[in-house]
Amino acid sequence: MERNSNDVPGLLSRMPDNTAFKQQRLPAWRSHLTAWAVLPGFFTTGAFFLGMGILLILSAKSVKEIEITYTSMCSNCAKLRENASNFYKECTCSVPFFIPEKMPGNVYMYYKLHNFYQNLRRYTISRNNRQLLGEDITNVENCAPFQRDSNGIPIAPCGAIANSMFNDTILLSYYPHSSTRINVPLLSSGITWWTDKHIKFQNPRSNNLPSAFTGTTKPPYWRKPVYQLDPENPENNGFLNNDFIVWMRVAALPTFKKLYRRIHRTGPFANGLPAGNYSFDIAYNFPVTVFKGEKGVVLSTVTWSGGSNLFLGIAYLTTGAVIWLAAFSMTAVHLKMKKRNIVSES
Amino acid sequence: KVDHREKKEFELLQFPNNRIHTSKYNVLTFLPINLFEQFQRVANAYFLFLLILQLIPEISSLSWFTTIVPLVLVLTITAVKDATDDYFRHKSDNQVNNRLSEVLINGRLQSEKWMNVMAGDIIKLENNQFVAADLLLLSSSEPHGLCYIETAELDGETNLKVRHALPVTSELGTDISRLAKFDGVVACEPPNNKLDKFTGDLSWKDNKYPLNNEKIILRGCVLRNTSWCFGMVIFAGPDTKLMQNSGKTKFKRTSIDRLMNTLVLWIFGFLVCMGIILAIGNSIWEHQVGDYFRAFLFQDEVVKNSIFSGFLTFWSYIIILNTVVPISLYVSVEVIRLGHSYFINWDRKMYYSKKETLAEARTTTLNEELGQIEYVFSDKTGTLTQNIMTFNKCSINGKTYGKLFSPLKKIFPLLFSYNKFQFYDHSLVESIKLGDPKVHEFFRLLALCHTVMPEEKNEGKLIYQVQSPDEGALVTAARNFGFIFKSRTPETITVEEMGKVVTYQLLAFLDFNNIRKRMSVIGTNDTFEFGGEGLRTLAIAYRDLNEEYFKEWFKLLEEANREFDKRDECIAAAYEEIEKDMMLLGATAIEDKLQDGVIETIASLSLANIKIWVLTGDKQETAMNIGYSCNMLTDDMNEVFIISGHSAAEVWEELKKAKEILFGRSTGFTNGYAFCEKLQELKRGSTVEESVTGDYALIINGHSLGHALEANLQSEFLEIACICKTVICCRVTPLQKAQVVELVKEYRKAVTLAIGDGANDISMIKSAHIGVGISGQEGMQAVLASDYSFAQFRYLQRLLLVHGRWSYFRMCKFLCYFFYKNFAFTLVHFWFGFFCGFSAQTVYDQWFITLFNIVYTSLPILAMGIFDQDVSEQNSMDYPNLYRPGQLNLLFNKSKFFICIAHGVYTSFALFFIPYGVFYNLAGEDGKHIADYQSFAVTIATSLVIVVSVQIALDTSYWTVINHVFIWGSVATYFSILFTMHSDGIFDVFPNQFPFVGNARHSLTQKNIWLVILLTTVVSVMPVIAFRFIKVDLYPTLSDQIRQLQKVQDKARPLKSHRRQPRRTSSRRSGYAFAHQEGYGELITSGKNMRVKNLHPTSGLGKTMYNSTSWIENLCKKTTDTVNSFSLDRTVKL
Repeated sequence: MERNSNDVPGLLSRMPDNTAFKQQRLPAWRSHLTAWAVLPGFFTTGAFFLGMGILLILSAKSVKEIEITYTSMCSNCAKLRENASNFYKECTCSVPFFIPEKMPGNVYMYYKLHNFYQNLRRYTISRNNRQLLGEDITNVENCAPFQRDSNGIPIAPCGAIANSMFNDTILLSYYPHSSTRINVPLLSSGITWWTDKHIKFQNPRSNNLPSAFTGTTKPPYWRKPVYQLDPENPENNGFLNNDFIVWMRVAALPTFKKLYRRIHRTGPFANGLPAGNYSFDIAYNFPVTVFKGEKGVVLSTVTWSGGSNLFLGIAYLTTGAVIWLAAFSMTAVHLKMKKRNIVSES
Repeated sequence: KVDHREKKEFELLQFPNNRIHTSKYNVLTFLPINLFEQFQRVANAYFLFLLILQLIPEISSLSWFTTIVPLVLVLTITAVKDATDDYFRHKSDNQVNNRLSEVLINGRLQSEKWMNVMAGDIIKLENNQFVAADLLLLSSSEPHGLCYIETAELDGETNLKVRHALPVTSELGTDISRLAKFDGVVACEPPNNKLDKFTGDLSWKDNKYPLNNEKIILRGCVLRNTSWCFGMVIFAGPDTKLMQNSGKTKFKRTSIDRLMNTLVLWIFGFLVCMGIILAIGNSIWEHQVGDYFRAFLFQDEVVKNSIFSGFLTFWSYIIILNTVVPISLYVSVEVIRLGHSYFINWDRKMYYSKKETLAEARTTTLNEELGQIEYVFSDKTGTLTQNIMTFNKCSINGKTYGKLFSPLKKIFPLLFSYNKFQFYDHSLVESIKLGDPKVHEFFRLLALCHTVMPEEKNEGKLIYQVQSPDEGALVTAARNFGFIFKSRTPETITVEEMGKVVTYQLLAFLDFNNIRKRMSVIGTNDTFEFGGEGLRTLAIAYRDLNEEYFKEWFKLLEEANREFDKRDECIAAAYEEIEKDMMLLGATAIEDKLQDGVIETIASLSLANIKIWVLTGDKQETAMNIGYSCNMLTDDMNEVFIISGHSAAEVWEELKKAKEILFGRSTGFTNGYAFCEKLQELKRGSTVEESVTGDYALIINGHSLGHALEANLQSEFLEIACICKTVICCRVTPLQKAQVVELVKEYRKAVTLAIGDGANDISMIKSAHIGVGISGQEGMQAVLASDYSFAQFRYLQRLLLVHGRWSYFRMCKFLCYFFYKNFAFTLVHFWFGFFCGFSAQTVYDQWFITLFNIVYTSLPILAMGIFDQDVSEQNSMDYPNLYRPGQLNLLFNKSKFFICIAHGVYTSFALFFIPYGVFYNLAGEDGKHIADYQSFAVTIATSLVIVVSVQIALDTSYWTVINHVFIWGSVATYFSILFTMHSDGIFDVFPNQFPFVGNARHSLTQKNIWLVILLTTVVSVMPVIAFRFIKVDLYPTLSDQIRQLQKVQDKARPLKSHRRQPRRTSSRRSGYAFAHQEGYGELITSGKNMRVKNLHPTSGLGKTMYNSTSWIENLCKKTTDTVNSFSLDRTVKL
């Protein structure tokens, strides 16, 4: 009890260590919302957002985009498709349109679906990535309800996503004069993500694609088996078919557009699509009216910020404006308070 | 009552052996029992339920791992903690169980482990040994089979207690063979936890001997001053009173805990609401859209009925949205509290180096409540005071010696050789040297009239065994002034007077008791007869008696002793007869020393608006003096109410008077019948307090308190007490202490803290929200019952103002942020529901959902919860007002919770709808399609991680290295895990588990995705900054102002202490001690505690008497007179 602690402090075993951590004295920066940090910060951010908003709007405006919804234009085909018994009947439809201004540079052709819920939970999980890797094409796990046909043969590619693949074919024709018609050359390559084309999707290893898929059957809503999707380009078949890969990347929202073709920049289209008369020749296969959906085609150029997207620009502009408004009112409040404080102090 | 019989060798099987188990598990039972316990927690059970839901394929909207990973993690952390705790319990159990004691086996003494001791065994104990089990004392080394024990571990009292063996058994002595043949049968009550009661009897040799507590030595006691003793084990192991007492401690919860539970319930309700909305949405959608859509998509649909689909969707959404109540909430809270507890344990400023005592957070789950204390209930002795008595002043024959030590005038103390005794007056020594007879007489009396037992240690060192410290102080003082009390026998007292050894014949010993409040010794030596009366610690008086008178009186006394029915009265009369016509010699003043820093601590806590009530077993004068000396009572108080009525009516009257003074006559005193409404008012939180101005104090006596605590008066009492700045309850029993605490707890709805050091404080420590034990001086009981312990009262200031405040501040910030974060995280699914046909599709990748709470965002918030500081510790101490928000519950309450939730909802709204707007018509820079679900998921997830990281960065006000590492590290971890999970390699191995291959690479290289993330972040965060800035600017809190000040201070110079010293305003007051315990007189005069063989018993001398009132009043008057003339200049209202 009479032990003197001041003698040899080092010997006291129970004394807590005098470390900054244990004594809660870690060197630290104390954050504080000072006017000098907040107000300039608001003004700068506001300015940046306003600038960015204007820039985005301008670039969105610079994008030339044409959207044609063809469900109503091809109403007879749409009617036909409502009846499942007409499944194998062909139906084509031509949609003429006019491009008022030249579409310079790369022009992309998208198909657009309205009211198509690719994001339904049971829909999105109805696929098997292992099958799509080509390793085990009879693996149809998770693909319910499109795992096997009525004979029990596994479906390849299995699942609801694959089964519901968009299967309209759209051709673009240019009419430099009312009598001449030029088919605009379209590229189906380069429309997929690199990783999808090279990693996520693989054909089963075999010299002959059809034989690789023996033992499987086509999805019920398909007209052709997966190895015959592209009759023109044998490379573009099986799980590596570009349209198939694009479709399999399910959309986030019920209204979406997917890249369908690129305009091949040759001949008269070397600099993009000239202004003038055009038409889409559509093989109308994909039924949408049953679920009150709509289909459309979009032709668009792109800029640094992607396609035409006014929303981002407007959002930036609005945010910038609101931030500035807030900055001004905060400055006013702050100056008033400062004045009051000075008055009260003196 | 079922008596249970026990006897050596008989029926042993039904008695447990002495092994104790405080551990809960062993290796085999750990997993099942621990899991069972953990799943008893509602939260864990809830997550188990979710897990089961997720295993139903029809509704499983999330993979099972999203729940099981966090759940297993949480269970593991808790299990590891429990296992460690239990390991230490096992260790201490083993250590105790393997202690050795000497047991009589087969007629021989053998060393045996404690755990093998059985009921019925005979054990030999040696001095300073711990008692292994509850024993019946058989014999001891001391005469009459006496032995001394210290019960510090049991009840916290350090003074020695005496135990007697039965005369029949004490004859057995140390005779092993006879002891071995001892075959008495003890019949006693079943094992119970009453430490001070034992009933039973011993049947031996056809005789029955009653047994009581005096014959029993309990486990946990230590044998003192007795070289050996034998005892028979009555209760062993779990039956012992010690173990019976270590019952399950009541589990304390903090108010934040309770609030959290309510909020979690609300969130459940909210969750169910969301589930219902989405389920209805699903039904409608299925009806309107899905039906047609389904025909296109699905061949054979299981779910045809839209209502049933809605029902399934409800459960699916419950699974998805369950993250609003994250599993990690409870475990994070525990981790943070544990961190705070360690900081308390590590605090050097709460370490008492003199006793090497650390502050200790014994309960790790109450820390933030330390920041909300409104009432502190403090014990006096040992808590406010050191329980060290010092002889400070005396007055002899009208002359006063000694000065109070004052910090202003340095007086060099006289240093004496013994015990570091200090006295600040040289004139007294001079008077002794000059041989002033009165002075000599004074000290002679001090050396004679007491019950101290001297003990001569080997090197001639004299050690006094004292029963009360004040007595020790007086005898030691006399010794230091040259009147050394050397030894005593039942009939003599030997004193060395200025070097001359004088032996006095002790003729009679009139012991101290609480009613007479005095003690007398009648003695004689060769030269003169001598009678003296010592009003201990106060007045010293003497009377010369002649022999005839004494003989006559002694006869009277003996007659009185023989009297049967009115013995006490007669003895009192006899005492009164002789204790009169005394010559007042002088008076002594013993200072009851305050602990260091008590005044400053109390001042500071009062500034923090913490009300301090002193609850003491001491008498009123002592308590009041302590009140004055620690500035709780001051001379400039408007009024000090003293309630000391003996009956309910008197107390009522006194309370009424007090109330009239407080409120003026206009406010009538409610009669006892209207108290119910009054209580209701009190519950609602009365505002009358504000209307009363001025400082008042309330002092209430134990018996008055008993009445005041009765149902019809308690509201009045509480109301008055709460208005008073200071409340002192004196002469209260431990139970009353607890009652007072309960009263305040119940009707004021205030957070209470009880602090004490002794066994009598245990009930109050246990019933208060927070119990603090003063460790290091008396026994361990208070500490063992406490939630926090430290060595000095002054550390309370730091515990509350620094640790408590910070803990509360951190916990509130943590909770706000946690709820915000999880709402922001989860509600995105809700918004998405409207765009995915209410199909319970998640917005995020499943792995993200799994990892978000436990990996991506857990550490920054823990770092904030553990390390954050708004103001420095120095400022926390310097500005006690900073403590207010905690008391008013301002930092986290229901409205704060709604603000956090609103913030979270807003953020989730921005998080969803900004990407939604952009993705509505989005194409990549290369024209490719990027408006896919996976990119959407990655965009929102990345925005979310960035938004919540920026938010935690904003919330963190104290950026240590750890915060930096955790915050930046979390964001970095997110990206590295993201890229890993989206990498080719992992996809090749688990293509179905990681379908996001290449996503991060493609979408996070798009400029517009980053523009979306930036926009989302700014939109989510800017309003918060603006709001906070405006708030600080317009309505700065004290904390804001001090932070501003701190910034200036930091810039100007390194922090300098600018601690204000609270001054003692009334230096004349000091805490002088009054003894209040009955003495050892009986033992001394009976000679029982002396090793002298020839003694004739003088019995009944020290008996108490109760009903002679006149002389009590006289004495009281005398007492106060003396006190007044001596040290007090004010009349104390008695």
